Amino acid sequence: MQKQTITFKLSNRLSELKTLNKKIDKFAAQFGIPNKCIFEIHLVLEELFTNITCYGYRDDKDHWIHVSISCENDIMTIQIEDDGIPFNPLEFEKPNLKCSVEDCEIGGLGIHLVKHYIKECVYERRGNKNILILKKTI
Amino acid sequence: MEIIEKKQNEIHIFKVKGRLDSNTSPELEKKIFGAIESKSLNMIVDFEDLDYISSAGLRVILKTSKTLKRSEGSIVLCSMQDYVKEVFEIAGFDVFLSIATKMNDALEMF
Repeated sequence: MQKQTITFKLSNRLSELKTLNKKIDKFAAQFGIPNKCIFEIHLVLEELFTNITCYGYRDDKDHWIHVSISCENDIMTIQIEDDGIPFNPLEFEKPNLKCSVEDCEIGGLGIHLVKHYIKECVYERRGNKNILILKKTI
Repeated sequence: MEIIEKKQNEIHIFKVKGRLDSNTSPELEKKIFGAIESKSLNMIVDFEDLDYISSAGLRVILKTSKTLKRSEGSIVLCSMQDYVKEVFEIAGFDVFLSIATKMNDALEMF
């Protein structure tokens, strides 16, 4: 399979999730990505996007979050770039999952899901940008 | 997302269709907590037609479970599709939540 890439940008609002979903579905349909994999990509990108949107900015200004998704030889590469506060999700501590309902706290659950579905992940802080590159076998 | 509510044998049933994500989860939370305020303390959430859930959806279920437990009520989830069930398992929520395979089994858990 030849390398195929889509790139797009989203503003830092939760309502942009709809745009994100449409982009993923269009890409997935175009390249015949299996349903389970589509589900996982939606989940991973939603968790990362909402994290950036909800916790990444300390001002009320509009910011752009740049996303690129590419596919080559059954490997999907996703890159997310934002100008939020430095945040490396890979260093985020794993939440205590084996707990009872009374004391189970939610912190980091989204990142935990991301780490489960993505086996290869690289974070870099470049200038004022967080750059996260994820690789996934289709 | 679409939510259909009904009552059966004093059990409040929510059938959730579509996607439970950061945008739609607040709507389910509002409906569930509205029911709790009206003293519906036993509920089933039917996920038969749920195609997708993220941590935002899990958070609503966790919050509901905690609140109901304090009020001596309970929540049972049922009819999850495989991908959705897997998200609950990865999160470790299957350890403390009641999850039934089918609606009939869920009704028998009260």
